[in-house]
Amino acid sequence: MATVEIEDGRIERSRSWLTTSSNVEAINIEWTLYEQVAAAAMDCQRLDVAKDCIGVLSKQFPGSMRVGRLEALLFEAKGEWADAERAYALILENNPFDQIVHKRKIAIAKAQGDMALAVEYLNKYLELFMADHDAWRELAETYVALQMYKQALFCYEELILAQPTVPLYHLAYAEVLYTMGGLENLQTARKYYASTIQLTGGKNTRALFGVCLCSSAISQLTKGRNKEEESSELQSLAAEALLKEYKQRAPSKEALITNLLKNMKLS
Amino acid sequence: MAEELVLDTAIRDWVLVPLSVVMVLIGVLRYFVAKLMRSPSASPSPDPKLVKEGQVVIRARNLRMNAQYIPAKAFKSRKVYYTNEENGLLHVPKEEAQKAQAAMFSDPNMAMDMMKKNLSMIVPQTLTFAWVNFFFSGFVAAKIPFPLTPRFRGMLQNGIDLSTVDVSYVSSRSWYFLNLFGLRGLFSLILGEENATDDAQKMMQMGGGFGGNPTMSLAAEKDSLDIIQHDWALPKMEHHAEEVLRKLLKK
Repeated sequence: MATVEIEDGRIERSRSWLTTSSNVEAINIEWTLYEQVAAAAMDCQRLDVAKDCIGVLSKQFPGSMRVGRLEALLFEAKGEWADAERAYALILENNPFDQIVHKRKIAIAKAQGDMALAVEYLNKYLELFMADHDAWRELAETYVALQMYKQALFCYEELILAQPTVPLYHLAYAEVLYTMGGLENLQTARKYYASTIQLTGGKNTRALFGVCLCSSAISQLTKGRNKEEESSELQSLAAEALLKEYKQRAPSKEALITNLLKNMKLS
Repeated sequence: MAEELVLDTAIRDWVLVPLSVVMVLIGVLRYFVAKLMRSPSASPSPDPKLVKEGQVVIRARNLRMNAQYIPAKAFKSRKVYYTNEENGLLHVPKEEAQKAQAAMFSDPNMAMDMMKKNLSMIVPQTLTFAWVNFFFSGFVAAKIPFPLTPRFRGMLQNGIDLSTVDVSYVSSRSWYFLNLFGLRGLFSLILGEENATDDAQKMMQMGGGFGGNPTMSLAAEKDSLDIIQHDWALPKMEHHAEEVLRKLLKK
């Protein structure tokens, strides 16, 4: 609520600035500012303000595609999906490679709760713009939400390929693998948790927990037939790091974590 | 060998300076003419195939450079997906490659553009050259302040067939050529950085324009993807992670 009010104040201020100011600078950035204010107004549901701004813009730039996008966005904000789709289709007719519009269409499908349609649109989009890693990420998260882990894995692999130094992708990949289960997947998951630890310098608590969980799951699966000694002391180190972290940050929960680790036979 | 030649100041006033000024003016004029003739639609909607091919190349390059971060199975399936001979993304059938080139040559728009560029370059050049030849042939226009070996005679004394004149004297026709190719810095000052009309560069572009089609880069990417070995980096990561944690615990 507070943020909305702050945003409101900001919009009011920029609006009054727009109407009163006559300095040279304003002329240059005036229209960009209108666009930004319109988008911000839609963000905090001030549709009247957004409508005013878009009205001014469409008077200034009749037939502009950028303004057309804003108008369609306003339909979306009102929840008039059919109108929004029609507006976007119109833009796509003139410029079939408008990435933003394609993404908006996916967002509409998602906003309506039609995940299958969103996935279909995303796949179609990625067939053409296959180097757009944000779209891959969206698709990966959608697949995870739909519990289609194999497909999600593929998307996360694609993300790791695109940006191998982002630890969050390694972490997400490991988590999907852990969720899928099975000895091989668990071992791979542990490796990716390890790489997350390496990339974050051991600061990622989730990865530390992940290593512990993976190790205990693996040891349960291979109980009795200890064919290959998982030599590493990674899990005990991770457990120690966890304990230290909790001691420093949340001493009251230390007993909890000690118990948990004891249950996993790690400390 | 000739002693010091004394150049008439009238030559400076009526040959050297006018020639330079005219060259600059023609350069500026040509820039504006080229701007007028340029097709009004600067960015027509791109060919979907071209867009896709560019994206495929980026993605394949990512795979090639960061292959060690994904498991071997994932890498293998991707490699097949990109490079298989039937419908791999990077595989370009031979006929299609030829067709693409043929299409490029026969595309009337492209030919038109080339023509325009050519016209804006060649017509003024021939005209000025004829003009210089007609009015200013045979002058010794300037002297450069340092000695040069006789090999430079062809470059600096074009139009004067005297082997006895010292090489550091510049003939008027050579002065024209020096101006033609050497005024780029001045143009970038007058017309702004990216507007400089660089003849040499233009010629390069014309020559290489046909070579750099995307199908070529697809094939190149396919070749380099074919030869890389997959070496999974993650097993090593566990040891690295151990070290990191040990360091963290010691602190």
